[in-house]
Amino acid sequence: MPDEPSKGGNMPEVKLDGVTKRYGKVTAVDRLDLVVRDGEILTLLGPSGCGKTTTLRCIAGFVVPDEGRIFLGEEEVTRLPPEKRDIGFVFQNYALWPHMTVFQNLAFGLQLRRTPKEEIGKRVREVLSLVRLSGMEDRYPRQLSGGQQQRVALARALVLRPRVLLLDEPLSNLDAKLREEMRFEIRELQRQLGITAIYVTHDQAEALVLSDRIAVLNEGRLVQLGTPEEIYQRPANRFVAGFIGLSSFVEARVASVEADGATLETEDGVRFRVPKGSLAEGQTIVLAIRPEHVEILAAPSEELENVFQAEVLRAAYLGNSIDCRLRLGKWELRTQLPPGKIPSPGEKLWIRLPPEKLILVEA
Amino acid sequence: MGTKWRRALLEGLLLCLVFFVIFGPISSLLIWSIAIRWYWPHVLPQEIGLAYWKQALGLQRDWAIAAVSIWGAFGTSMLVALVSTALVMTMAIPAGYALARFRVPLKALILLLFLMPKAFPQQPIFVNLLPTFTRWGLAGTVQGVILIHILVCLIFGVWITTSAFKAIPQELEEAARSVGATRWRTFWKVLLPLAAPGLLVSTVFVFITSLTEFTGTFFIGLPFVTTLPMLLYSSSGYNMQFASVIAIVLLIPSLLFMVLIQRVFRPEYMGGIAG
Repeated sequence: MPDEPSKGGNMPEVKLDGVTKRYGKVTAVDRLDLVVRDGEILTLLGPSGCGKTTTLRCIAGFVVPDEGRIFLGEEEVTRLPPEKRDIGFVFQNYALWPHMTVFQNLAFGLQLRRTPKEEIGKRVREVLSLVRLSGMEDRYPRQLSGGQQQRVALARALVLRPRVLLLDEPLSNLDAKLREEMRFEIRELQRQLGITAIYVTHDQAEALVLSDRIAVLNEGRLVQLGTPEEIYQRPANRFVAGFIGLSSFVEARVASVEADGATLETEDGVRFRVPKGSLAEGQTIVLAIRPEHVEILAAPSEELENVFQAEVLRAAYLGNSIDCRLRLGKWELRTQLPPGKIPSPGEKLWIRLPPEKLILVEA
Repeated sequence: MGTKWRRALLEGLLLCLVFFVIFGPISSLLIWSIAIRWYWPHVLPQEIGLAYWKQALGLQRDWAIAAVSIWGAFGTSMLVALVSTALVMTMAIPAGYALARFRVPLKALILLLFLMPKAFPQQPIFVNLLPTFTRWGLAGTVQGVILIHILVCLIFGVWITTSAFKAIPQELEEAARSVGATRWRTFWKVLLPLAAPGLLVSTVFVFITSLTEFTGTFFIGLPFVTTLPMLLYSSSGYNMQFASVIAIVLLIPSLLFMVLIQRVFRPEYMGGIAG
């Protein structure tokens, strides 16, 4: 939609150009290039220590990169102090000023901008109703619950109508149920306001729910950038396949390539049929198998491909499903069974791995 | 209802205990300060009166009673303590902030340096300083005494101030920067109010240390500068009554500060530091 600049256009709102940050001998962020589009919410996802928070802090101006450049819109801000950047920042531990009331917390930034008093009152009330905290103006942060504090923190960042909203693991201090609600709430707010947002998290479920696009980082580098569907369905490598969603991995060699597909063979003789793709004979490859792609068959079948007999290693009851670990050759596969009888270890099951659902990543 | 009463009772008992622990030992000072005659083996003085108090406060002049007016020494003490505290804190607050927040080169060494006057026996240091102070014309002057008090007190100022600033999460500052506050504004609007309890404690420590400082004052101030502790030391041993009067006077600022602290340590501040 290039005609609507306020919504999901392709105009770069935040641009990182070869950003590098080192702490002593550790390179926290390594030559990172990234473009965040106007109006989108982009998640920086990765394990702890992958450089996602450092990247966000570089964009905020709390950290100055050693190399590279950062742009907000047209303006280069690499060395600009945070107060001149027109950003909103939401911290993991909320960082509300404990000596100020909710109103004072929200009004502080507006007062610094010499906004008229009535306007301040109006905007604070507006944004408080947006985060469903109307009437809490005179409370001190310590009088609020964790979830409420988080919403005040969000309101404090939004009340200034910043160019970019930066969120650093904002939900990780909340309990599981509230966290799930807040995911949708943040997503809704971001859509409603059409604000460009960068969201840091190590929680892949959060990233999948929230994001227009996800940037997966590992060891300071960008590993994959794409929509949640792209990342989940076509992970770029073994790291992404393992980090986002559950995967079981099987290493195999391409035994033969035919017109209608290829055959892989593991060193212990298990053979898989897969789509041909661009596989070459003799190549080693890793199969990533998602739990939901393992089909359980009532009986063996001659017509279907990739049918195996697997042995149950252990099974755990999860309420709405059964988490079951199977052994196939020397490989362990994780799968989810519908609730019902819990299979006992040693039991044999017929399974099928539909070729088109198998994910192939580089070894 | 039962629990409420029990709680009140418990609090009352605790308060009594605290008062006893703090004021129990001090009560003997009170008795001594009004004892005219008190000889062994009597548990309480045989004769009591306010003669020593009157003499000390300059309300009477009786050569039979070994006490002089303390007003001069009191004035000197207050002047020295207030000026030293003001100067120490003006140095300690920026220094503490810098040490808490920036990567100051040789930070450990600097903090150690502040500790030095306390790590050595003080007498050799002051004896060694005396010729220098004499050369600078500071020996025997109030300025000289203030300078030596600053030296002694700076450690409390800097160390406590540093930890007061360190206790404030960095994010609170960053949050202020992110909404548009400069570093200076952030310091005044966020850091200083939050550090206030710690800074107050530091100020009280510095003030009390200066008020009761003896060794440095003795070496540098003698014979022209007389502070309350000097008066106290010179009369203690042979004149318990007068010494007790001075000791009680020295306690008064501490008690006032306790009340002040109780008022400043409001829950919203304390909550902020814990969070």
